[in-house]
Formats: sequence, structure tokens, C-alpha cells
Amino acid sequence: MSAEAIPRVQLDHIAQLSQAAGEGEFLRRMREEARALLDPLVLPDRARHLWRYTNPAQLLPAHDPTEPLPLPLPGEWRQEDPAAAAVLVAGGAIRLVELSEEARRAGVVVEDLHRSQAAELVGSTVPARHGLFEAINAAAWRGGVLVRVPRGVELEEPIRLRLLAGPGGRVAVPRVLVLAEAGSSFEILEGHLGGESGAQVVGVSELLVEENARVRHALIQRWEEGVSGHLTTRARVASGARLQLALASFGGALYKADVGAELVGEGAEVATFGVAMGGDRQRFDHHTEHHHLAGKTNSNLDFKVALADTARSAYTGLIRIAADAPECEAYQENRNLLLSRGARAESIPELEIANQNVRCSHGATVAPIDPEQLFYLASRGLPRSQALRLIVYGFLDQTLARLPESTRQRLEALVAARLHAE
Amino acid sequence: MSEENRPLFSCSGVHVFIGEKEIVKGVDLAIPHGEIHAIMGPNGSGKSTLVAALMGHPAYTLEGRVFLEGEEITALSPDEKARKGLFLAFQYPVAVPGVTVASFLRAAVTARRGEEVSVREFRKQLLTRMEELEMDAAFASRYLNDGFSGGEKKRLEVLQLRMLEPRFALLDETDSGLDIDALKVVAKGINAAAANGTGILLVTHYQRLLNYVKPDVVHVFIDGRIAHSGGAELALTLEERGYDWLEQQAAMGGA
Repeated sequence: MSAEAIPRVQLDHIAQLSQAAGEGEFLRRMREEARALLDPLVLPDRARHLWRYTNPAQLLPAHDPTEPLPLPLPGEWRQEDPAAAAVLVAGGAIRLVELSEEARRAGVVVEDLHRSQAAELVGSTVPARHGLFEAINAAAWRGGVLVRVPRGVELEEPIRLRLLAGPGGRVAVPRVLVLAEAGSSFEILEGHLGGESGAQVVGVSELLVEENARVRHALIQRWEEGVSGHLTTRARVASGARLQLALASFGGALYKADVGAELVGEGAEVATFGVAMGGDRQRFDHHTEHHHLAGKTNSNLDFKVALADTARSAYTGLIRIAADAPECEAYQENRNLLLSRGARAESIPELEIANQNVRCSHGATVAPIDPEQLFYLASRGLPRSQALRLIVYGFLDQTLARLPESTRQRLEALVAARLHAE
Repeated sequence: MSEENRPLFSCSGVHVFIGEKEIVKGVDLAIPHGEIHAIMGPNGSGKSTLVAALMGHPAYTLEGRVFLEGEEITALSPDEKARKGLFLAFQYPVAVPGVTVASFLRAAVTARRGEEVSVREFRKQLLTRMEELEMDAAFASRYLNDGFSGGEKKRLEVLQLRMLEPRFALLDETDSGLDIDALKVVAKGINAAAANGTGILLVTHYQRLLNYVKPDVVHVFIDGRIAHSGGAELALTLEERGYDWLEQQAAMGGA
């Protein structure tokens, strides 16, 4: 094997990046430690389900993500009143933030994570040792956003973050930390969009959901054609807290998502509801994990995938219940609808149940479109393309109907737009 | 043939195949404006296959010619036939989970009329028609045929018949699985459609729907052919005597 064949990740400007972003000692050291994990670079074991369907080498940054950006770094981020949408420039990367007046008055903070006092919480749910791409992110993230909702604050309007992929040849390395203090209740939409063909993304989001908080978080990926990326989201859910994770995957050429929650306190709940729609030659690989580390915790998962053309999807879902976590309930359902003969979907559930006093179930289906449904709708005057759209919309909407109204409306609009683009 | 005498619906020399197997073996029908025809026959005689093939079910191959108001529609796709005004009420309506009755009907009515219908006008018409068929308003927001009882499915087929106002409707066992009260409601809907100018071809196994929907002509379907045609009284004869005598006659005649 020639030397060129060994995959490597170039991270030559970590100190410069950290300094320019105004980081303290904690983050700088975290970056260096993460880089050390990547030397030598060891690709993940492809025998494990997590990487069985996607070659990790295809997602490795092709360019040095720590390379200084041409954008001048302003001294601090700014939020322009009174516009609800604001631009946050953090570490030289631009983030779009929508935060209601209500949220600002209540003391909700959306700020530059590099300089934040909460920076020491970075890595709490996704440490650098989580995996290869998480280590790359830990070493090279830029444009980090902290969202902190104070204790007991309940918001009507959702908080929106829009994280843009870059031009071709550029690697975006976003990082989001959401801190939901005890008893807070809110909705947050994390949108990953934009980019040009050849752009790459290696993103990480961490959610800390404290006691009795209610968080509805949506991870919406609608990159432009030809973008590829890996996003990791992990939540820690404390006792009595409830987290709803909405997944919506539409864009990009190659997308791998690793999304999960740890239920660490009694009575904690997580529900992951998601939809993915692929066409052309898109490749999706979604992995979910629900870890029950405390008793009387609940998890539920409903993930639907619709594929056209020669699109492919892999879904692997792990439910893990610890030995000292009795009386848990965990459900998982993944359904895949194939709109063409060239589309392929895989669905692999994994259960690791160490406590017998639990209720747990899973179901998976992969099915082509039902010709009887098409004929029924055709007999009512609907042309094939419209009938297909209606069937797919209905298939996905059953899951979207479980989401809060504002998220549902947003995602329904995206599904409709994606259907009309077909 | 003059405009006035031209039948609303006709077909000639219709044979239907599933793969190599011939199910319908030569059917000619000519149904004038304002008439209701019934096709009765034993199970397995091919009557459901006939109407599904007339609508254009992709599993069947149809030979012969089909006309709607003199226009040949044989080669049209099912959705084109539907937009021309042909309708099929399914014996086993298909569930489309996630799609509400209201949104489906709005799409279908829009397709049939060829233009957008205002939400207000559509809602008003839908609620009126549902009331006629003694359906609860909440029905409109349920998913299409998903978890519906047999009776609910049949009512929904008749609701579609009323909303789409087709020129000609093929009704496949729209009476099966209904209790007597539901049967009366369904019959009322069919009669209302007929009064509104929709031509009707009823396929049924039993005579009881014909107590409430009076056919002008009854055709007896045996082994893929119309073995006998007569007036409404033929249905009563079949009720008394069954199909055996006609099956024997058909076997002898066919020999």
C-alpha cells in the first residue's frame, strides 16, 4: 500500500483557530486532546452496525477544517435588535438565529460557544472519544452556538438556528450546545442547510436536559445537492424530563446521522420521531440510540423513510437498557417505502436489554409502493405522479402528526416541497 | 346513431385476461341515459373482474372496446377515465394511511373538475353530502379507509360517488357487509346520484339492494358471460330459484 492510500485528516491550525475565536484554556486543551486521538488515524470497525452501510473514509474532511477563514473575525458576536432573526458570528463562522422577544425578555441566551462561560460543558454528552467524527469535530469545531434556557422558563415561540454548509471544498464544523435548565420548556429547530457541491460538514450537537424540563428539538438537514456530512446529536435527559427529538433528512449526497439520548434519571422520557426522503443517488445512514440508565424511563422511536430513484438508506437503531434500570419501556419502529425498483433500504434494530423487568418492542418494514393504492387513487382521477405524492405524504405525515404543531407545519412544508421537486 | 339514442355507456366484445387465463369471455353492454342496470351472478363468475378491468386495473388485460357517451375510452389510463367521468366503487376500498378523507376528496374533486375548488365551497358541499349519508363530520379528518369498518368503507365509496358526480358509475358489491339501516342509506345515495344524471351499473351477489335501488335491466353473469337479461323481476326470480337453472341453461346453450 502506498503512503497516499492511508487516510488522514489535516488539522494544522488548531492553536490559531482557538486563539482567534477567543477561547480559554479548557477548550484549547480539549482540541489538542482530540487531535491526539486522531494520531494515528484509525477508521471505525465496519463490522459494527454503526458503520456497516457507510464507508467512513468517504466522510473524512478532504481539506483542513482549521485553516484560517478569509472572513475577518469580529471581536464579539452581535445580535441586531429588533429583528427576530439575528446573525451570530462565532469563531469566524456565521450562524442565523431566530429568538423571539419573549425569549430574550425571559433571559434566554444564544451566544458564541467559543467564549461562553458554559464552554466547560462542551463534550459532556459527545466527548471526543465518542468516535472518529466526533474527535474531528472536537478538534476543529468553529462557529459554536450555546443556547441556554434558564430554570422554569417556558417559551411559546420556537428558537431557530440555521447552520450553513460552505462552498465546495470547504469543511464546516458546527457545534451546538443546548442547556435546558430545570423545569424549562421550549422548542428548538436546528436547521442544517445550504452548501455547494463538494462541501463537507462534520457537526455535533449536545443537549443537556435538566430535571423536569420539556425540550422539543428538531434536527433538520436540507443541504444542497452534492454536500456530504456527518452529524452527531446526543442528549442527556435527567429525572422527570421529557425530550422529543424530531429528525428530518432531505438533502445532500451522502449523509450520516448518529442521534441519541441517555435517560439518566428516573421518569425521564425520550421520543424520537423522524422522516427521511431521498431521491436521485442520495445516500442516507441514520443511527439512533436510546440508553436507559435509570429505572422507570421511557423511550419511543418512529422513523419513516421514503426513497425514489436509486437512493439508498440504512437505519440502525439501538435500545440499551442497563441492569439497574427496571420498569422501563422502549419502543422502536422503522418503516421504509420504496418508490422505485432501484431504491434500497436496510433496517437493523439492536436491543441490549440487561434488565428483564422491562417492556420493549421493535418493528421494521421495507416495502414498495402498493399498486392497489395507486389504482384506487387513479380511479378517482389522480395522475400517477400526484397519487405517488399523496401516498408518500400520508406515509410520512403519520409520523409528523406526532410532533408539536409548529415543527409539524415546518416539516410538512419541507416534505411537500421535496415531493414537488421530484 | 343519433345523439339522443347514443348510449351513455357501452362496451363491445369485452374479454378480460389475467395473464393467459380468460376470466371475462365476451361481454356487450349498452346502457342508455337515465337507466340503472344490475349485474348479478354467482361468486367467481367474473363480474368484479369485469368492472375492475373496465376501469383499467393494471393486473388485467382487456380486449374489446369501451365507450362513454360515444367516446372511446378503451385505451385511456384509469385516471384519464376517471377525469372523463367514469367511476368505480370498490368492493374492497383501499386504505391510504396518513391521507385524510377531506384532503383526498379535495384532490379528487379538483382532478375531476379540472379546476381548483374553493375551500369554502368544497367544505360546504362535503358537509351536505356527509349529512345525506348520515356520516359524522369527524369522518372527514380520518385517514382514508384506515381502520374503517366495512360499512364505513361502503359509505365513503358512495360519498365519493356523490362528490365526484361521475357520468357513469360501476358499483362493485356496494351492498355487501351492510346492515339494513346502512343499506338504506347507501341506496339513498345511489338513487340520488342516478336522479342527478349518473348512469349506474350495479354489481351484486344478492337481490336485497335491488329492493331499494330499482334496476331497469338485470343481467345474469355466469362463467364470464351475460347468460340472461331481463327486467327488475328477474332479480326476484333469482332470489327464489338461485342461479342453477341458468347455469344449466348456459352450459347447454354454450355447448
